Amino acid sequence: MILGDVLGTPVHDPAGLRLGRVADARFTMNGPPGQLLADARLLGLIVSPHSASSFLGYERTGLARPWPIAHLLRWRHRGSFLVLWADIDTIGTDTVRLREGFTAYSPALNDTGNE
Amino acid sequence: MKTARQPKYLRTPGRTLDAQLHLLDRQVLDVDGVPVTTVDDIEISAPPPETPIPAGTPAPTLTALLTGPVLGTRIFGGRPPSSRLIRIPWRDVADVGVVIRLGVRGEPLDADWVERWIRDKIIARIPGGRHDPR
Repeated sequence: MILGDVLGTPVHDPAGLRLGRVADARFTMNGPPGQLLADARLLGLIVSPHSASSFLGYERTGLARPWPIAHLLRWRHRGSFLVLWADIDTIGTDTVRLREGFTAYSPALNDTGNE
Repeated sequence: MKTARQPKYLRTPGRTLDAQLHLLDRQVLDVDGVPVTTVDDIEISAPPPETPIPAGTPAPTLTALLTGPVLGTRIFGGRPPSSRLIRIPWRDVADVGVVIRLGVRGEPLDADWVERWIRDKIIARIPGGRHDPR
């Protein structure tokens, strides 16, 4: 599957309620060691209710500077969340459907604001 | 659904990469530091679109960085057919930073064939085009 086909796709919950669009895909490099780097495993998709544009990394950490850009991007991506691969039911060309009882995680890497 | 009003933080071991932030549009350098291309898209080992994903399916992995003739589709929308995209296997990637560094030489890759074609067919035929400037 080509990732560009998924970015920007609307995301719906099992009842058909629109939750936002796919803004990014998060990979974690904790797979088996490869030839040079470890395998990059898809952790999940970042869903944003208002914009599918890039967060420029501001969602990952507590970075707040430059102030206008940080606040603009946080406002633009308010309500965004990370949904894990295990909670994705179908990835289609028109919609990404989540499983019943999915969990919306914060897109921040942790609660300390540090990467 | 537990909403983002009470966000749950997910602590993941290992380095995390966000596709748009760390990979897409990044410049790719080969093992000698020679520019090869830029990343236009990414291929993952997920099931084809519209296929239901059974619970417990292992997470897909990033299989290749894609590059190719995307100028027209970036302007007018869509993307080139998958068969026209050139794949750089993830196993050849050595580091992801400000640029993406490969652990192999770029010459054998198909990704820079346009530059090689211009070098061999055009630049080489210009007098003095076959050696470094003196």
